[in-house]
Amino acid sequence: MNYITPDNLKDALNFLACHGEDTEIVAGGTDVMIDLRAGKLEQKKNLLDIRNLAELKGIDFKDEKLFIGAGVTLTEINRSDTIKKYAPALVKCSTTFAGRQIRNRATIGGNVAHSSPCGDTIPPLVIHEAVALIANKTGEKLIPVEAIASGPYQSSLSKDSIIVKFILKPCRANFTDFQKIGRRKELAVSRMSMAIMADKDEQGRISFIRVSLGACTPIPQRMDEVEQFLMGKIPTQDLIWDAGKILAEKMAGVTGRRASSVYKEPAVQGLFMRILYPVVL
Amino acid sequence: MEDKTVCIEFTINREKKALQIPSRMSALTVIRDILGLTGTKEGCGVGECGACTIEVDGQAINSCLMFGAQLDGCNVLTVEGLEKEGQLHRIQKAFLDNHAVQCGFCTPGILMSTHALFEENANPDDEEITKAIAGNICRCTGYQQIFASIKDACSTKTGNG
Ligand SMILES: Cc1cc2nc3c(=O)[nH]c(=O)nc-3n(C[C@@H](O)[C@@H](O)[C@H](O)COP(=O)(O)OP(=O)(O)OC[C@H]3O[C@@H](n4cnc5c(N)ncnc54)[C@H](O)[C@@H]3O)c2cc1C
Ligand code: FES
Ligand code: FES
Repeated sequence: MNYITPDNLKDALNFLACHGEDTEIVAGGTDVMIDLRAGKLEQKKNLLDIRNLAELKGIDFKDEKLFIGAGVTLTEINRSDTIKKYAPALVKCSTTFAGRQIRNRATIGGNVAHSSPCGDTIPPLVIHEAVALIANKTGEKLIPVEAIASGPYQSSLSKDSIIVKFILKPCRANFTDFQKIGRRKELAVSRMSMAIMADKDEQGRISFIRVSLGACTPIPQRMDEVEQFLMGKIPTQDLIWDAGKILAEKMAGVTGRRASSVYKEPAVQGLFMRILYPVVL
Repeated sequence: MEDKTVCIEFTINREKKALQIPSRMSALTVIRDILGLTGTKEGCGVGECGACTIEVDGQAINSCLMFGAQLDGCNVLTVEGLEKEGQLHRIQKAFLDNHAVQCGFCTPGILMSTHALFEENANPDDEEITKAIAGNICRCTGYQQIFASIKDACSTKTGNG
């Protein structure tokens, strides 16, 4: 294998245009190292280290949009006042993401590109209707984050392209949260994760809501049915419970009922209740 | 797949090094097998135990999840670099004083996680300490003595560092 560290995005994209099929991009390397050890990268000829690409760095708020470079680490997310202000659920997700050592290296771009169903950054990105700016040698395009994973551990990105940054709609709601359920408190891989953003009008009716579910569906996704069910209604305990039921049914519909559904369906309903409880009148 | 080599230059424990290494060798293997610095341990090899923790540019990282090639241009500290001029670092002293070492396999990694924590924050509270060492598993001590040592090291001014 070759190990290449291009100095800029243009050189990296030129290289991928010729050798994309045989090349694995390395950002933090926390997934790549494990895939390599597991023998999943035997056909690759090159490792392309993207650490020097300035275009992938930085966090910025401009023209009512939040920009997060694909090379931004979970630690940087955790410490960013800008992200805390405009996408607090993403900061919340960074506090429970692996341990300190991994957060110091793992990037948001790597987390999304790896397309693991339990990628914790995806549900918080989805509630902000985030799009990824994807570049290849011939140009750039915008793809919604939800469309990047085409299946568990399968990305729809073409092999000649790099995620440059994510563009998020800033949080305008008063309530937002991310929670996950894992096997233990620290360093747990998510069994189920959920990001929610919600707001109420003067009459106490839900005027804005975004719900995104991760880990328990093959690819993280936005739960439109639940959002539609709740819009314009006064959030009582019973209503949230019913909405949680719809969410559980939607999840079962996406994944197909399996043995684990017995605990997963009540768990998803419970997690939904727990997150939205502060919004109940 | 045949491995090509890659040249790297970095500083480790205040010494400059220039090496030629196989392209997919981990930073852990570079440190242990090429440089002979065996204080850094391999436990799980997949990012879960923290025995391989080193400091890169002031941040604790798992060397088993990092390519050796990624060390290029970095400033690296391993457990061997904590001691200066024959003087143990105050974190090491505190671990001895508080009997925080049983089999010792986790110790280098926990020392490095603690050192990185102190670089950022000389007086961490209990929660910050817990967060900083959450990625380090100890099978022997039950963490009580480790926690006590770290608290102790916060308040002592003896030793180097
Ligand atoms: C012990 C352990 C615990 C973990 N806990 C969690 C957790 O709690 N939550 C969670 O979500 N994840 C967790 N992870 C996985 C997490 O570390 C990774 O998903 C990480 O975010 C990937 O980022 P990276 O920079 O290390 O990517 P890399 O490993 O460098 O790359 C990952 C993949 O993405 C591709 N890639 C990287 N960057 C780009 C880009 N800019 N454009 C196109 N493709 C790209 C690479 O080619 C590769 O296929 C854990 C991992 C370990 C080992
Ligand atoms: S050996 Fe690196 S984390 Fe276990
Ligand atoms: S002292 Fe044995 S693992 Fe910690």
